[in-house]
Amino acid sequence: MHSLIQLSIVVLLLPLLSFVILIFFNRRLPRRGDFVGVGILGTAFAISAYIFWTVIVQTYDPAFRVAWNFTWIDLGNVPGIGPLTIKMGIVIDNLTAIMLAMVTLISLLVHLYSTGYMAGDKNYGRYFAFLGIFTFSMLGIVLSDNLFSIYIFWELVGLSSYLLIGFFFEKDSAADAQKKAFLANRVGDIGMWLGILILYSQFHTFSFAEIYANLAAGKFAMSNAWLTAAGLLLFMGCVGKSAQFPLHIWLPDAMEGPTPVSALIHAATMVAAGVYFVARIFVLLTPDALHVIAFIGAFTAFMAATIAITQNDIKRVLAYSTVSQLGYMVLGLGVGAYSAALFHLVTHAFFKACLFLGSGAIIHAMHHEQDMRWMGGLRKHMPWTFATFTLATLALAGLPLTSGFMSKDAILAGAIGFANVEGGGVYYIIPVLGFFSAMLTAFYMGRQIWLVFFGESRTHLKPADDHHSAHHAHGAHDAHNDDHHADHGVHEVSWNMRAPLVILAALSVFFVYSPNPLDGAQGWFMKMIKTPATVVASYQSAVGSGHSALKELPSAEAAGEHASEKGEHTFADPRQAELAHTSHAAHYTAIYISSIMVILGITLAGVVFVFKIIDPDKTAETIRPLYLFSLNKWYWDEIYQATFIRGSLLLSKMLYWFDRNIIDGMVNGAALIVRNVAFANNSFDKYVVDGLVNFTAFSVNTTGAVLRKLQTGKVQTYVVMLLAVVFGYFVFYFTRLIY
Amino acid sequence: MLSLIVFLPIIAGLIILAVPSSQKQIIRIVSLLAALAQGVVAILIWRAYDPSLPGITAGPGGSPLGSFQFVEKLPWIGLKLGGMASLNIEYFLGVDGISVTMIILTALVSAIGVLSSWTIQKQVKGYFILYNLLASAMMGCFVALDFFLFYVFWELMLLPMYFLIGIWGGPNREYAAIKFFLYTLFGSVFMLLVMIGLYFSVLDPVTGNHTFSLVAMANQANYIQDAILGPHNVMWRYIAFAVLFIGFAIKVPMFPFHTWLPDAHVEAPTPISVILAGVLLKLGTYGMMRINFPLFPEVFHASMYIIGIFGAINIIYGAFCALAQQDLKKMVAYSSISHMGYVLLGLAAGNSEGMVGALYQMFNHGTITAMLFLLVGVIYDRAHTRQIDKFGGLASYMPVYAAIVTVAWFASLGLPGLSGFISEALVFVGAFSSITTRPIAMVSVLGILFGAAYLLWSLQRVFLGKRKPDAAYDLEVGADGHEHIHFHDWKGKIDLDARELTMLVPLVVITIFLGIYPMPVLGMITSSVNKLVEVLTPLAIR
Repeated sequence: MHSLIQLSIVVLLLPLLSFVILIFFNRRLPRRGDFVGVGILGTAFAISAYIFWTVIVQTYDPAFRVAWNFTWIDLGNVPGIGPLTIKMGIVIDNLTAIMLAMVTLISLLVHLYSTGYMAGDKNYGRYFAFLGIFTFSMLGIVLSDNLFSIYIFWELVGLSSYLLIGFFFEKDSAADAQKKAFLANRVGDIGMWLGILILYSQFHTFSFAEIYANLAAGKFAMSNAWLTAAGLLLFMGCVGKSAQFPLHIWLPDAMEGPTPVSALIHAATMVAAGVYFVARIFVLLTPDALHVIAFIGAFTAFMAATIAITQNDIKRVLAYSTVSQLGYMVLGLGVGAYSAALFHLVTHAFFKACLFLGSGAIIHAMHHEQDMRWMGGLRKHMPWTFATFTLATLALAGLPLTSGFMSKDAILAGAIGFANVEGGGVYYIIPVLGFFSAMLTAFYMGRQIWLVFFGESRTHLKPADDHHSAHHAHGAHDAHNDDHHADHGVHEVSWNMRAPLVILAALSVFFVYSPNPLDGAQGWFMKMIKTPATVVASYQSAVGSGHSALKELPSAEAAGEHASEKGEHTFADPRQAELAHTSHAAHYTAIYISSIMVILGITLAGVVFVFKIIDPDKTAETIRPLYLFSLNKWYWDEIYQATFIRGSLLLSKMLYWFDRNIIDGMVNGAALIVRNVAFANNSFDKYVVDGLVNFTAFSVNTTGAVLRKLQTGKVQTYVVMLLAVVFGYFVFYFTRLIY
Repeated sequence: MLSLIVFLPIIAGLIILAVPSSQKQIIRIVSLLAALAQGVVAILIWRAYDPSLPGITAGPGGSPLGSFQFVEKLPWIGLKLGGMASLNIEYFLGVDGISVTMIILTALVSAIGVLSSWTIQKQVKGYFILYNLLASAMMGCFVALDFFLFYVFWELMLLPMYFLIGIWGGPNREYAAIKFFLYTLFGSVFMLLVMIGLYFSVLDPVTGNHTFSLVAMANQANYIQDAILGPHNVMWRYIAFAVLFIGFAIKVPMFPFHTWLPDAHVEAPTPISVILAGVLLKLGTYGMMRINFPLFPEVFHASMYIIGIFGAINIIYGAFCALAQQDLKKMVAYSSISHMGYVLLGLAAGNSEGMVGALYQMFNHGTITAMLFLLVGVIYDRAHTRQIDKFGGLASYMPVYAAIVTVAWFASLGLPGLSGFISEALVFVGAFSSITTRPIAMVSVLGILFGAAYLLWSLQRVFLGKRKPDAAYDLEVGADGHEHIHFHDWKGKIDLDARELTMLVPLVVITIFLGIYPMPVLGMITSSVNKLVEVLTPLAIR
C-alpha cells in the first residue's frame, strides 16, 4: 500500500473518530468537546496538506495516480459470471489531492469559526459531531475509486446535510427544509443509481478504472442511447446535490441551518460534490449528454442570478449566487472546459465560504437579523469583516486580480469555444447566458455590499412586529435570546471567527493560483488538472455514429500537433482537441466581454443603490410582474407543491382508499359470501333436508293417526266393516258381469 | 443441535405449565432463559457452520450430508398401506445457507420478543405458553427438510398466533385474528394438496421409496416422468406452482393478499408485531426459496416477470399506502409490505446478486422492522396513542429515543452505512442485470424516494418542530426552569428505560455493523444462493 494511501485513510477516518467521540461523550468533555473536533480536523488538514505538498508541489505530474482497493463483498462463484466481488478503494490523483486539502482546510476553518458562532447553543457538542460525520462523508466522495462507494458517501453527505439543516429542529421551517433537501436529493440519487446500474449490468463492476477500460475497449453491449442515458442519469445525482435546475429548490431553504454549515456544506464542499462527480465520470459522457449538461448549467446560472437580484435575506442572496456559480461549473463541464470548471470549483469554494462566514459574522453581530433592508453602515463597526467580505465579493463578481476572475473567464472562454465548434446557432445561448449572468452577479453583489456595509444603519426602520417575530423565530438559539436591539452593540467578531475570514479572503487572490492575473492556464492548477481523454469516442467511431460536428473538424493528428507545439495536453479525441484549441483562442474575447459585463453590472448597482439615480422600489413597481417573478423564485416551489407533492399525497390517499375499500372489500366480501353460503346451506339443511326428514315422520305420524281411528277394538265395528267390504266386493263383481 | 434449538421453547412452555399462574416473574424468566439458550445454540450453529457447503440439493451420492449441515434424519411416520402405497414421513432437519441466517434471526427476534413481553399483564402464563409454542414452530419451519414436517410446523404457528392476537390484542382483535387465521389457512390448504401430489411424484434416490424430502424434491432427476407433478405433466406443474406461490405469497404478504397484515399489526401487542414482522413474513419468501422455486424451476423461470411485477407493486403501492397513514404502527405495517416487495423483486431477478440481496433483505428487514415496532410500542406504552399528529417536538424531550428512532427510520429508508441499504442495492443490482426484470427495476427505484418521503414526514411530525396543541403529552416547567415532559398516566422513565435499551441497542449495533461490513451474513449465504441460482436456471440457458 502506497504511503499516501495510508495517510489518506487516516485523513478519512479522523473526522469519523471526531463524530463518534462527540456524539457519545460531548456532555462529559470540557467545552462540550469542541477542541476535539477542531484538533482532529487540524490534524486531518495537516496530513492533507502533506499529501497536497507531495502530489502537487513535489511530484508535479499531471498524470499522477495511485490507487488501492480491497474486496468488500464477495459473492462467490456466481453462475454465468464467475467469481464476483464488489470492491472498495481509494484513488489519489491531482484532483483528489487538491480536493482533500480544500475540504479539510475549509472544514477546519468552519470548526474554528463555529467555536465562536455556535458558543452557548444547547446542542453545541452535537453540532461538532455532525460536522465530523459530514467531513468524513465528503472526504469519502473525494477519495472513492468506484461508483458504489461514491453513492454510499453521496447519501451520507445527504444525511449530514439533513441533520445540520435541521439543527434548530424546533423551528418548523428548519424541519421542512431538511426534509425538502433530503427528498430533492433523493430524486437526483435515484437517477444516479439507475445510471450506476446501467454500467454495472454491462461490466459487473463499479470501479471507475475498470468501467472506463471496458468502455474504451468497446465492450458496451447496449445501444449508444443507453450510454447517453447512463451519463445523464449519473448527472442527475449532480443535479440534486449541486442544486441544478430543476432540483435547485432545496438549496435556498437549506439556509435554515447554522450559517457556518451553510458555508461548509451548502456553498463550498457538498454542493460542489456534484460537479466533482461529473468530473469523475466526464470521460464516459457522450457529446449528446454533454450538450444537455451545458444547457442545464447555463440555464441554472442565469435563473438563479435573476432570483438573487431581488432577495432581501443576506443568506438567500448568497444561496442563489451559489446555485448560479454551480451552474457555471456545470456549464463548464458541459462545454468541455474540464479544468476551468474544476478550477472554478476550488476558487468558488474559498471565496463563497468567506462570504458565508462573513455573513455569519454580520448575522452574529446583528443579533440574528438576516434581512439586508434593516442593515447598513456596518463598514465602520466591522472593518475586518468588511474587508474580507469585499475581497471575496470581488472574486465572486469576477474582477481582475482575483481568483474568481481567472476561473470564470476560463469557463466562459470554453463556452465561446464550444459554441464555435458546434457551429453556432442555439449553442451561442450558452455563452450569452453565461455573460449575462456575470453581469447580474456583479449587480446583486454590488447591491449586497452597499445595503450591508454602506449608508446609515436602518435597524430602526424595521417594522416592530416583524422584528418581534424574527426574534422569536431564532429563539432556539439560546445564547442570543436576549432583548438587545439589533443596533446596539454591533461590534467586530472575535479572533476565532475573524481568522477564517482572513485566510479564506487571502485564498481568493490570483497569485495563489497563477502568476499571471489574466490567465489561469499559466497557473499550477490548470497545469495539474488536465481534461482526461474520453472513452466513448473510440466506441463511437467503431459504431460509426459520431457526432455530426466531427466531420468538419481537423484530424486528430493535426490538433494533437498543434497542442503539443505549445507544450499542452494532447487529445486522442478530435472533438476534445478542437474544443481545447478554440477555447484557447477565445480566451481574450472572453476576458473583454466578461470585464465589460462585470463593469456594467457594478455600474448599474452603483446607479441604483449608491447614487440612487434609479429608485429600485419605483422600478420594481413599474415592472411588477417581473419583480414578483424574481422575488418568488420563478414560482418553482409553488409549481412543485401543486403538482408533485399534492399529486403524491392525493395518490397516496386514493391508493389507501382503494386498499381499504376495494382490496379489503373483496376480502371481506369473500368472507361475507362464504358466510351467506353457509347460512343458505344452513337453511337448506334446516328446511329442505331436515324438512324432508320431518315430513316423512310427519306423514307417517298423520297416516298413523288416521288409521288409528279404525282400530277401535270393538267387534261390532269390525263386523260392520267386514260386511261393508263384502258388500262392496259383490257390487263391484256384479257390475262387471252386467257390462 | 437443531432439535435442541427447535424444542427449547416448548420445553420452557412445559415448565411454565407447572408454574402457578401467580408466579409471573418466574414464568417470564423461564421464557427468557429458553430464548437466551436458543440464542446460544444459534451462535454455536453460526460459528460451526461451514459456508463452503452449498445445500439446496443433495450432495454427492444423493445423501444430504455432503451438502446440508447439522442433519438429523429419523423415520417418523412409516405406514405400510398395503401394495404399492406406503407413507414415509421423516423427522428430517438440516441447515444450509438459506436457512442458517433465518435461524439466527429467529433466535434473535424471539429473545427480543420475550423482553418486549415483560409488560404483558393479562394471563401471563397462557401468554408465554403460546409464545413459546410459536417460537418453536417458527424455528421448526426454518430447519425442516421434510415437506410434511415443514407443513406441521407451518400449521402449528397459526394456532398460537391466532390466540396471541385474539386475546392480547387491541380493540378490534377478534376480527384481525380470524382474518389472519383464515387467510393463512386458505393458503396452506393448497399447500397440502401440492405436497401430496409431490409425494407421489418423487422417489428417494437412495431408498427408492416415495418421499417428502425437500432435498430429493429439489432434484428434477428424482421425479417420476408421468406422475401427477412429473416433468411431463406441464399443466399440473404450473397449477401446483401457482397455488403454492399464492400460499407463500399470503404470508409475505404480497399484493393483493396483504390486507390481513395492517389489521393484524394494528391489533397485535408489540412483541407479537415484532415476531410477525421480524420472522413470520420471512417464512413466505423462505418457502419460495426452499420449496416453491427449486421444485418447479422451469415454471419459476417462466414466471419471473410476473413475480417481479408483483414485487414492484408491493414496493410502490406499500409506500404510497404508508404515506397516507395517520397511525404510526399502520405506517410501519405498510412499510413492511413495501420492503418485502424488494425481496420479491430480488427473487424475481433470478440471479445471484438479486437472490443474495433478497435473502439479506429478509434478514435486515427482520432486524430493522423489529426495531421500528419496538419503537412504536415505546411511545404507545407512554401515550396510549399512535396517531402521528398527536405529538410533535418529542426530540427535545426524549433525546435518546429520538436518536434511536432516527437510526431505525434511516435504516428503513435505506441509508448507506446501515444494513438495509446493502440488501436493497443488491436487489436492484440483480433486478437490473436481469433483462427480464430490468424495466421493473427501473420503476421500482421510485420506492426509494417514496420510502424516504413517508419516513421523513412521520419523523418530522412526531419528533421535530414544537409540541402540537392537542398533543398526547403535557409540558410542565420544572423547578430548574426547564420544560419537562409528562405523559398522562405513565409512571416510568420518560426516555428509554434499561429494558427498552437492552432490546434496541443490539438491533442498532447489528444494523450499523452489517451496513458497514456485510460479509458475516453474506459469507454464509452466497454458496447456497449460487447453487440455488444454478438449480433455477434451465439447462438450455445454463
